[in-house]
Amino acid sequence: MSGKSKTIEPAPTVQVRKKPLKVRIRHSMGFYFMALPVIIFVVLIYYWPMLGIRYAFFSYKLRSIHWVGLENFRMMFSQKEFWQAFINTLWLSTFKLVLNTFAAVVIAIFLNEAINLIFKKVIQTVIYLPHFMSYAVVAAIFSLFLSPSSTGFVNETLKSWGWISQSIDFLHEKSMWQPIFFAINLWKEVGWGTVIFFATLSGINPELYEAAKIDGATRLQRMRYVTFPALSSTIIIVLILNLAKVLNMFEPVFVLYNSRVYDVSDVISTFIYRKTFLQPIPDYGYTTAVGLFKSVVGGALMLGCNALSKKVRGRGII
Amino acid sequence: MADMAAPVQVSQPVKYKKKRTKITTFDVVNVIVFTLIALIVIIPLWKVIVDSFNAVGVYQFKLWPTDPTFDGYKTIFTTQKLYRPFINSVVTTVLGTLVGLIMSTLGGYVLNQYDMPGRNAFSYFLLFTMIFSGGMIPEYLVMKQLHLVDSMWILVVKHGMNVYNLVLMKNFFEGIPTSLYEAAELDGCTPMGIFFKIVLPLSKAALASIGLMFAVTVWNDYSTVQIYITDPNQVNFQYQLRVMIMDGDTPTTAYRVSQDTLYYASIVCAILPFMAVYPFLQKYFVTGINAGAVKE
Repeated sequence: MSGKSKTIEPAPTVQVRKKPLKVRIRHSMGFYFMALPVIIFVVLIYYWPMLGIRYAFFSYKLRSIHWVGLENFRMMFSQKEFWQAFINTLWLSTFKLVLNTFAAVVIAIFLNEAINLIFKKVIQTVIYLPHFMSYAVVAAIFSLFLSPSSTGFVNETLKSWGWISQSIDFLHEKSMWQPIFFAINLWKEVGWGTVIFFATLSGINPELYEAAKIDGATRLQRMRYVTFPALSSTIIIVLILNLAKVLNMFEPVFVLYNSRVYDVSDVISTFIYRKTFLQPIPDYGYTTAVGLFKSVVGGALMLGCNALSKKVRGRGII
Repeated sequence: MADMAAPVQVSQPVKYKKKRTKITTFDVVNVIVFTLIALIVIIPLWKVIVDSFNAVGVYQFKLWPTDPTFDGYKTIFTTQKLYRPFINSVVTTVLGTLVGLIMSTLGGYVLNQYDMPGRNAFSYFLLFTMIFSGGMIPEYLVMKQLHLVDSMWILVVKHGMNVYNLVLMKNFFEGIPTSLYEAAELDGCTPMGIFFKIVLPLSKAALASIGLMFAVTVWNDYSTVQIYITDPNQVNFQYQLRVMIMDGDTPTTAYRVSQDTLYYASIVCAILPFMAVYPFLQKYFVTGINAGAVKE
């Protein structure tokens, strides 16, 4: 096999820099032409907005823009609301990540044991399904189910079983909001989370199982000592990949939260949204500063996770 | 350790028959648990579908509509406030997917030209956007300058360029054997010719799965509309659904349908396009993520 590829690929040492730069540039004209629309697009939607970061040091209300230095940051760091949002962001997204990953691993390991392949396939198809529904739809479904009105599925069912006597307004209840948030996200994403683990599991050498069987390992022992270790590096990769994005959470929270539960649900992005678009006269400067803080911390997180990923699997995320 | 489990294993003396897996309690429990998990996923969806055909809102879970009606759907497709967003969704999804595919194939292909001077600069230029971003507000201000605020085309612009998908495409192109390029070059094919005549036809599967990823993202996008669009003629269906159900802004004309029927019918319309093709295209839905994540 290696012999075959040798004949196709030229020996790299001979090939390097065989043509002068000018010739290579002329040769690549077509590629530059192809890259042009991509470059324009990227500048337009990614780089141009980066220039707007300067507003973090300005006060920007209506049409009046003037320099305020670090005033926006001072105000941000002194606001209790901001810190609450920051802590909520970290807590909601990391716990969601850990919970979903853990559940996905358990599901993958046990479903991998299913003898009937059709059964396995059907279950997979079903549990992937909610991933393709938008957060707006999922929030709509569950808010209808959890609603305290006379057609609210959960409330009326619990009442008919005699578990509660009064309807509970689940989504407006501070103590209930976070568990419901985690449960809904689990329902939506856990199936999809298993995809990557199944891909890893399909690569396990069946001889390992045979060997373990001969050594007298029981079913559970095989799952514990063969299947699980095979998944461990994938688990770490999934955690690292997603850890880099923990600050980005917006839509999952936004579709479910409301003014009564801000304390437990507000995250940085929703904070920025609220302070800009729900204000009669927004100060774009201030919210840009909050956004800049988020971008910087997020970027650092991304670089850290990238380094970690390089260490763990010899390949970065980016 | 081994002798602990040994006595259990001995109990099959004669065997030359084919290896047949014995069904144990474990298997039975496993099947039951997974059936329950599947039911947890299916029941809410089933209830949504059934209730969308039910003339009167009920709280119970019914297997079949008790009082069947199509009025919910009829209302959606005869009320401008509801069908307009649906059309917007279809248009932006189709265009967004097209633009997204064009951008990621072009970029991915160029990223693969290791001989091209400036290739590394191009790569850093793209990857930097994954580390740092301007943030919600500067983006909003730029889009305002581009007159994309309050216009549904913002959906096409925002999703038309996705660096992650571009890298996926690049990874896929990398898998095409170099000998093919060389043969084509020897035959006098230009780089553009190679792209259109060799690379694209070979990439149908990748195009399908990445195209689906774009389509799902654009169709399901709600937050972009929430941030950028207030004009009711420009919103997409997800947004309209959300406004109707969560904020109670039901179109006010006198309807013959109950509120719940209309709500559930709208939910079905919002998920229908992908639910309808999903069982048949599952392969393409799933390969995208695998290509990106487990490639070693």
